[in-house]
Amino acid sequence: MRLESREIDGVVILDLQGKLMGGPDAEAFKNAIHKLLEKGAKRIVVNLHNVDWINSTGMGILISGYTTMRRSGGDLRLLHVSDKIQSILYVTKLNLIFKCYSDEDEAVASFENG
Amino acid sequence: MAGTIVLEFPSEYKFLNIVDLVTNEVIENLCVEHQAANEIAISVIEACTNAIEHGNRECCDENVRLVFSCKDDRICIEVEDCGKGFDYECFLKNMPDPTDIEHLRGRGIFIMKNMMDSLEFEMQPNKGMKVRLEKTLKPKESGDVQKD
Repeated sequence: MRLESREIDGVVILDLQGKLMGGPDAEAFKNAIHKLLEKGAKRIVVNLHNVDWINSTGMGILISGYTTMRRSGGDLRLLHVSDKIQSILYVTKLNLIFKCYSDEDEAVASFENG
Repeated sequence: MAGTIVLEFPSEYKFLNIVDLVTNEVIENLCVEHQAANEIAISVIEACTNAIEHGNRECCDENVRLVFSCKDDRICIEVEDCGKGFDYECFLKNMPDPTDIEHLRGRGIFIMKNMMDSLEFEMQPNKGMKVRLEKTLKPKESGDVQKD
């Protein structure tokens, strides 16, 4: 998995590329979240546009990022969720936890509405 | 699909890429409808992830064996590891709530159980755990487009 970050209107977009499946991915994602928190970032959008697939371990990585951000008074939202990832979110009912967007501007603007 | 397709690979996460490629090729050959195709692909990855992570404990000297077979309109997938197994009946009874975000793990079996028609575990003496997944296939309809 490759991971890059950029910022739009105070919202950090984390662009993920590859597969999110555990092993070294977990540490890389966790470190990225903690570095962003150290810099004061509270609003994070994880862009999954270039994520081919994810497994339940990868879902655990996203949940870990979500809970870390929420406990720090921030939030983590998802962008460009593929059909496969959507299926996992629905079957586990995690779609009730994660806010998902199909448009980047909409995802960024969503933080203005709480 | 006549006969069986067998893939054996070391217990490293990177080989899940090959598992995904092979699974997608098998599914493509079976002309399965889009939603079912996704559910099979996700479940195979989950079973192999469990075999790597919990079965073989990421020991790359231990292999995972994946077998696809198809009879009539039903696909059968078997995933075997070399591990000591676990009390799956106990796990199934006490399966954690998948919406509980305090739990980062434990959703793989829940996902497979809900996406496949049948999920069975078998402890093979002196070999390891075998997971068997089955699903009845519906043919792909025209206009059913793979979006991923």
